[in-house]
Amino acid sequence: MEEILKVEGLNKSFKLSSKQRKIEKTDEKIKKAVVDLSFSAYEGEIFGLLGPNGAGKTTTLRILSTLIKPDSGEAYIKGISVVKEPEKVRNMVGFLTSELKLEDFFTPDFLFDFFSDMYKIPDDTRQERKQYLFSKFGIDKFAGVKVANLSTGMKQKVALVVSIAHDPDIIIFDEPTNGLDVITAKVVTDFLKELKGQGKTIILSTHIFSLVEKMCDRVGIIIDGELVVCSDIDTLTKEKSLEDVFFELYYERKGDSV
Amino acid sequence: MKNGALVVLKKELARFFGDKRLFFTTVIMPGLLIFVMYNVMGNVMQDNLSSKMTAVSEVYAVDIPDGLKSLFESGALKVTVISEDEIEDAKNKIKEKNIAACVVFPKGFQDFVNNFKPYKRAQNVPNVEVYYSTADIESSSAYSRIVDLLDLYESDACNVFDINFASTAEEQQKYNVATDEQTTGTLLASLLPMLLMTLMYSSCMALAPESIAGEKERGTFATLLITPVPREQIALGKVLALSCMALLSGLSNFLGTFLSLPALMGSVAEEAESEFSVAVYTAKEYALLIVVILSTVIMFVTIISVLSTIAKTVKEASTLTLPLMMAVMFIGFSAMYNSDPKQEIMWYLIPVYNSVQSMIGIFSFSASAVNILVTAGINLAVSAFGMIVLRVLFNNERVMFAR
Ligand SMILES: Nc1ncnc2c1ncn2[C@@H]1O[C@H](COP(=O)(O)OP(=O)(O)O)[C@@H](O)[C@H]1O
Ligand SMILES: [Mg+2]
Repeated sequence: MEEILKVEGLNKSFKLSSKQRKIEKTDEKIKKAVVDLSFSAYEGEIFGLLGPNGAGKTTTLRILSTLIKPDSGEAYIKGISVVKEPEKVRNMVGFLTSELKLEDFFTPDFLFDFFSDMYKIPDDTRQERKQYLFSKFGIDKFAGVKVANLSTGMKQKVALVVSIAHDPDIIIFDEPTNGLDVITAKVVTDFLKELKGQGKTIILSTHIFSLVEKMCDRVGIIIDGELVVCSDIDTLTKEKSLEDVFFELYYERKGDSV
Repeated sequence: MKNGALVVLKKELARFFGDKRLFFTTVIMPGLLIFVMYNVMGNVMQDNLSSKMTAVSEVYAVDIPDGLKSLFESGALKVTVISEDEIEDAKNKIKEKNIAACVVFPKGFQDFVNNFKPYKRAQNVPNVEVYYSTADIESSSAYSRIVDLLDLYESDACNVFDINFASTAEEQQKYNVATDEQTTGTLLASLLPMLLMTLMYSSCMALAPESIAGEKERGTFATLLITPVPREQIALGKVLALSCMALLSGLSNFLGTFLSLPALMGSVAEEAESEFSVAVYTAKEYALLIVVILSTVIMFVTIISVLSTIAKTVKEASTLTLPLMMAVMFIGFSAMYNSDPKQEIMWYLIPVYNSVQSMIGIFSFSASAVNILVTAGINLAVSAFGMIVLRVLFNNERVMFAR
């Protein structure tokens, strides 16, 4: 299988303001969010980054989608550096996270056209894709309704559809089922499997064990910004459940401090 | 192929024109409000002035000659003769605004006037005392009428020569060699630069923070940043869109002001005894004005965009742009006391100040095309520099994703 994503020794730390230090209950001025992180993902697989809150999952995915730059290290998507050629990378990936929001004022129809234009999609391709995705997610009935007036679930579906308007080969999805009702969550996970069936590569992050077990081919467990394990899911859960494996690793790292 | 800047521009304009409330509050309302306000203000001012100036005012007089009394009464002054002891009482009445003035003639005034020989230089001339109060408009106006009447009386008593003699106002007009053009020009050159600069700046201030800091605050800006459109194109699209909107909003403000000028300026022009008319400007003045306004608006939009990008919230952005607003107003004010534009080119190298000077030049028909081109060039250069700063900021994750 072809290696489509290669992450090599990523490091990222944030300067903490005094306010942030208070919130995080720490005296340290610098927060190491990602530490020497390396892994690879292969074409046509679903790769999961599993870790507790604050482990550094979102930070990693933001680096991969070129929103932020690592302090050191590199990541290549189809051999193209996310640091050196971010604009090329943006053409190939679709990034979805709850921190990216859609403007309330516009309709799904307008937003889909707008983002397609931003990705320079030809008009006829756009029209075809819009029809396909809108009917798949039941957005067609609401295509002319302003985002502000849509239900939360519908908003999330629109956000998903818009983020893959350019039919990217790699989909990066931060906490895909967070905040979704069970029905929308099922629609989304089914769709991710369908994308995988089409040969797309999906990188997702989550703190939910069952989601990894159900969806992922391979998993990397990330704790305090470090990747402690990276393996295919079948090998990892041969003897113990994923949950047991995780907590074993977790206590091993944290020792008695927990 | 679709250009990213154009796509962003189109989206921003769709937002602006699609949102009836936004359009109404930034384009329709300001102009309308200004028009109504200024017209009401202008009318009130004029009514007030003319009623105070033509009403009959009550004045007290001590030892007033009969000839003068009837002269006063023909000049809308109702004269009550009082004795010398009552002067203190009369002063209080002026203070309390019960009467307008009190005129005290010296003893033997009439005799002195009657026996005066024009060819003899007089030594101890009598002094007429007029008590009045500047705290009361009616009193001030009565005072100036009394002084005028006494002057008239004096020159009648010993007329050596006349100044600008004319029996009618129209005839009087021939002495004022200022053309209607010049009168209008001087008036507008002292007023409009400051108004226009403030209006343009506040239009930009009403729009740019919302479009940039607002999008950052709501988390919608990041969705633009994950697209492959280069950051400088996103910046360019935003700045162009904001310039269009600010121009529209500025135009509305400007029309509101311009159309109320006759009402607002009428009384001032009347005093100058000259016709006030905005029809004196030709296509050349308007063309130059458009060049100045356009380049200034683009510069304002870029500067405010930079500040709005640095700010985390719309509120913070408004705070950041306030000091500049003060500076713009202050520089605009400098035009009010200086209606001759600077001619040296170096003055036109200073942003904002150059726009003000250019506008003074245009309104007073003394603009130099070179200076105006320099102004436009400087404004656009500042904007270009601002665009570079914007691009750097858009690429700075700490600015764009500040927590
Ligand atoms: N912009 C930032 N400024 C300061 N600290 C940050 C910033 N982004 C993330 N962090 C910190 O880095 C750590 C990792 O965050 P994140 O990647 O969001 O974790 P996860 O997604 O796994 O929950 C957290 O402690 C978080 O507070
Ligand atoms: Mg996260």
